Amino acid sequence: MLPRIGFAGMTHLGLVSAVAASEKGFGVVCFDPEAGHVRLLTEGRWPIAEAQLDELAVKNRGRLRFSADPVALRACDIVYVAPDVPTDDAGGSDLGAISALLDQVSSAVSDETVVVILSQVPPGFTREKQRRIRNLYYQVETLIFGRAVERALRPERYVVGCADPAQPLPARLAAFLAVDGCPILPMRYESAELAKIAINMCLVASVSTANTLAELCERIGAEWSEIVPALKLDRRIGEHAYLAPGLGIAGGNLERDLATVCTLADRYGTDADVVRAWVANSRHRRDWALTTLWKHVLTGTQDPVIAVLGLTYKENTHSVKNSPALALLDNLQSFATRVYDPVVSSPPGTRPRCHRAASALEACEGADALAVMTPWPEFRRLDPAEIASRMRGGIVLDPYAVFSAVACRSAGMRYLTLGSPPKD
Amino acid sequence: MISHSQLAPQRPDRVVLLGGNGFIGDAIRRQLLGRDVNVLAPASADCNLLDPQSAAQLQSMLRPLDAVVMAAALTPDRGRDMGTFMKNLAMVQHLAAALAAVPCTHLVYFSSDAVYPAELSRVAEAAPASPRDLYGVMHYAREVMLREVKHVPILILRPTLVYGARDTHNAYGPNRFCRSAAGEGTISLFGEGEELRDHVHVDDVARLTVRCILHRSRGTLNVATGTSMSFRAVAQTVAGRFAPRQIDIRSTPRVTPVTHRHYDVANLVKAFPDFRFTAFEAGIAALVTDLQGEK
Repeated sequence: MLPRIGFAGMTHLGLVSAVAASEKGFGVVCFDPEAGHVRLLTEGRWPIAEAQLDELAVKNRGRLRFSADPVALRACDIVYVAPDVPTDDAGGSDLGAISALLDQVSSAVSDETVVVILSQVPPGFTREKQRRIRNLYYQVETLIFGRAVERALRPERYVVGCADPAQPLPARLAAFLAVDGCPILPMRYESAELAKIAINMCLVASVSTANTLAELCERIGAEWSEIVPALKLDRRIGEHAYLAPGLGIAGGNLERDLATVCTLADRYGTDADVVRAWVANSRHRRDWALTTLWKHVLTGTQDPVIAVLGLTYKENTHSVKNSPALALLDNLQSFATRVYDPVVSSPPGTRPRCHRAASALEACEGADALAVMTPWPEFRRLDPAEIASRMRGGIVLDPYAVFSAVACRSAGMRYLTLGSPPKD
Repeated sequence: MISHSQLAPQRPDRVVLLGGNGFIGDAIRRQLLGRDVNVLAPASADCNLLDPQSAAQLQSMLRPLDAVVMAAALTPDRGRDMGTFMKNLAMVQHLAAALAAVPCTHLVYFSSDAVYPAELSRVAEAAPASPRDLYGVMHYAREVMLREVKHVPILILRPTLVYGARDTHNAYGPNRFCRSAAGEGTISLFGEGEELRDHVHVDDVARLTVRCILHRSRGTLNVATGTSMSFRAVAQTVAGRFAPRQIDIRSTPRVTPVTHRHYDVANLVKAFPDFRFTAFEAGIAALVTDLQGEK
């Protein structure tokens, strides 16, 4: 008989994980202490955007049960505690909500229930909670916003933190994880918690390398896009390496890990200067769009109009956490802006000179410059000639290279992107 | 990073400008007067900041609604020794005493990019100050001293190499190049003039300062254009202003290693996204014209 799986905390991580478990054939109980939130979920009104999520939720609705009563979790063999852990502006985690949720879950379930922390927590957190929850484990999640369902359905490996990794995993947990046929790596809590951070640090190192060298490319006449294939064919780097230059680290999760490493290094006296350098580089690259607009548009055009396509911090997500687009708009408040995003209706806050357009092309109407701040797939389908015909000016900032540089130049626009020297 | 206490620009009741007869101070005074701002720029005869009595003199001059701009310093051409260092600190000690007695609405302190280590090639405000000589230490110590004054919002401006006709320092760069080109018809470079530096026109420094005063900005801001060029390129631009006269640009044996300096001006752009610096060629043209006018 298949184990029944519970998920506590129905935000992004919990929802995606619960739907993925149901898709694998398991009966799933979805608990959240907010009754209003549970009601919306029951009605199919989900607060997040993720590829495949809505379809799979509908397909597996017979296996998904939502409840605001923690007693519903008593029917489960394994309960994953999976709320999104909020972070502050400095990347520090607020662990209050997950601690409260753990208390609720442990009070509701029996001692035999396997409780697994799936949220991102700092090293030491699980060991401290294990004093009160006997069957407690920590499992690394490697969710990627925009590809979260795909990652949950086809994990590369499971990293499981245990009180004592020499002891076998509980049979029910082992059975649940074995369904995917991927390696299962048991290790002590602290190692697993740090493994999650280690994965993200490696990603940040790659991205920071790409950003650092892409900026150099822009100055010395090299093309980063020509260099990337050479790197990906090197086995020590690999074809899936994060080598696309971007506008700094955003989304919250990577920033959290950077902050955690710095905090731990400060506490234990280890060296984290390289991590601080990554943070500084991220902030520096986030300003690329602003400083480029300043150089090419803001100081040379009377009352310029700036079109901004994309508000989320990356494509295929609803999240605007640390979004470069919002950072840009914050610094353009004295200018007229026209914005469009496929998911986020309007940027938060009062912005009297910001017009929310109904489409990407409408956003371009009368603009002196266009900044494509999120590489949404629908933007790739836009015709640069059509964009040029709608705009008043001809500057295109396309950091993620969603358009063809050649097509933009053919349309008479000045095309500026990351990792490539400006060309007239 | 700076923040504006007044989102809409607003003239202060009065600006007390210390060092108003100096190179930068004079440019600020002209800009302020051009905007009908009431300016008090006491001459050193009325208030010599080196004199301990200046604390009381300033105290009697200051009004609570004043903005104060501190642009007075003994520059390196007046001495790089410990005596000059201590005199510079004494000047700010006296100012701080006056401000403690009469807190004003805004204090702008003119520091220097000398607070950053000379070998730092890319400078942003977040870079730690780590001055290597007494001049840099002096400015950093003055920053700390003035930050200690209670109840006075402070803006620290750290300008890089400033050029303009009234510069009396004749430091290596545009001013010296223009003068030697006009006089001897030569420009002498250190080595091949490879070093990259950011040069800002004094009128831009003044315009930016006035904006900061009108917005009552606080924090720390580097004053640089964000564009660096080699001294050889500076020399060539200067020489070009004297055409058809041929200016001889001479290299000399290099005695110090080549260092470069670039400024990340993102914070300046965020504070004043429409601020436009004078193009270097235009600045040099104005400098040459002004110097010829002086003759």
